[in-house]
Amino acid sequence: MKSVYMDRFIDSIEWIAAVFVGVVAADVFITIFLRYFFNIQIPDSYDFGQLLLGILIFWGIAATSYRGTHITVDLVYANIPPRWQRAMDVFATLVLLFVVLVQTYTLFDKVVSTRDANLQTFDLRLPVWPFYAVAWIGDVAAVLLIAVRTWRLIFHPELIKKPDELARPVE
Amino acid sequence: MSTDAVAIIGFLSLFVLMLLRVPVGMAMGLVGVTGFGYLTSSAPALKIVGHTTMRTVTDFNFAVIPLFLLMGAFATTSGMSRELFRAANAFLGHLRGGLGIATIAACGGFAAICGSSVATAATFSKVAYPEMRRFGYPQSFATGVIAAGGTLGIMIPPSTVFAIYGLITEQDVGKLFIAGILPGILAISMYMITITIIGYARPGFLPAGQRAPLSEKLSALKDIWATLLLFAFVIGGLYGGLFTATEAAGAGAGGAFLIGIARRKLSGPDILRSLLETTRTTAAVFTILIGALLFGYFLTITQTPQKVTAFLTGLGIGAYGVLTLIMLMYLVLGCLMDALAMIILTVPIIFPVIKELGFDPIWFGVIIVMTVELGLIHPPVGMNIFVIKSVIEDVKISTIFYGVMPFIITDLIRLVILIAFPIIALFLPSRM
Repeated sequence: MKSVYMDRFIDSIEWIAAVFVGVVAADVFITIFLRYFFNIQIPDSYDFGQLLLGILIFWGIAATSYRGTHITVDLVYANIPPRWQRAMDVFATLVLLFVVLVQTYTLFDKVVSTRDANLQTFDLRLPVWPFYAVAWIGDVAAVLLIAVRTWRLIFHPELIKKPDELARPVE
Repeated sequence: MSTDAVAIIGFLSLFVLMLLRVPVGMAMGLVGVTGFGYLTSSAPALKIVGHTTMRTVTDFNFAVIPLFLLMGAFATTSGMSRELFRAANAFLGHLRGGLGIATIAACGGFAAICGSSVATAATFSKVAYPEMRRFGYPQSFATGVIAAGGTLGIMIPPSTVFAIYGLITEQDVGKLFIAGILPGILAISMYMITITIIGYARPGFLPAGQRAPLSEKLSALKDIWATLLLFAFVIGGLYGGLFTATEAAGAGAGGAFLIGIARRKLSGPDILRSLLETTRTTAAVFTILIGALLFGYFLTITQTPQKVTAFLTGLGIGAYGVLTLIMLMYLVLGCLMDALAMIILTVPIIFPVIKELGFDPIWFGVIIVMTVELGLIHPPVGMNIFVIKSVIEDVKISTIFYGVMPFIITDLIRLVILIAFPIIALFLPSRM
């Protein structure tokens, strides 16, 4: 039952990021539409676009890290027995956890320094640091999810779904 | 320890971590920051992590990646590929190997609204493969055509790989997109010629279909207005200077969404699925981009690009000799690792060499995309091959590789043509 709640939590994180993708796209599209057809400029649309982009990426990285859909080199992995594959998965996830942990620590510093510098958006003069803070919470979620992934890989590997290769259509 | 020794140890550690399946971006970031910290001190190294990461993810220019991905996802889910294939088949299906030729034409058309080779290959595995098999096309040929046609996704604009190359090297993404148009048309033509040659060299191997009546041709043409409109809107706006690359991507995503809704081809679940796919891919790409930028500090402090440039230009083999070496390196690396990872890892080192040798950065972008295209279909780690295998389960990997061989030869010839005649890539950007 616990794993069901955990899966819902992970899905929710991914949905939050997905919603932000839609919001960024809508922001850019509506801005262009209003500018070309009505000569109207949405205040801070540029700043909102880039700040929302930051939020969507950190929340997206959280889900991607848990699902194991990062871009990896599978040359060795594809040619070793499942037992070694699992060991390699655990090692790679531990490294990932370490890197994201350091990143989360340094990003907190960035959020604090941005607040102290009183950085504001261009038009509406809104403080930027709350946006950074929301992005940073996504990074905290990444740490939690990678920790869950590590736990599951070691003790409950059956709960880890195989990443879908079709989820990497970048190339 | 000297900076050279640190650089060598850094690169070795990076390759070991990548071979141990640490995500490429994370491995680059870890090695980059550790190496930078070793040569300076830990405080500035930690400072650049927070600063570079936040700067990268909040750079509006980088929004071009998720927005074009979203446009491609909407185009894929709303079934535009099927309409393109139907139209291409109505006009070309009667030729010998006509369904193969139609597949290439439809892949080219789909590439004009979707910047992903893997998505193109996956889509046409579902759309074109059953038709080709139904008409008796060999499994190797059918899958080979789809694998090769899929690579058009990243050459014909919009293209995610062009966007990433442009962002890494600080080149105009719009110009890069436009530079891909003529090489993309060349690729379509050469693939079609290859199929025709196969058809005539092996009579009976590739059947010809029946000629479609005029009414069917007109009806099929009527269905592809959405694709044409979207391509004209996005690339026309970019070429005409109406949009920046990021705005074009936003306009494309919004346009694909509205067209899908207006034609009732996009349901609620389709929209959510498109957003989810875009999120996953965007996160994977940005992880690698952040890693590459952090690794860039390590490259700068160890002066690796300058040293590699001095070494290669000092070989005395001329500009094209060095270029040949670089291409050979890419072909070998393409056998070992993911094509995108290869590009993001090597371009920051190779790009200064290219500039020093006097080659055009936009033209080199096209050459780089060509090498990625080859990497997507050549053994042993061709991503398109594995994607096709994941969709068509009853085909062997070796069968797909066998089928794609003629197209690999075609691609190598095309690479030589593009190197010999840079004007093919540079003509349209020079008119912007």
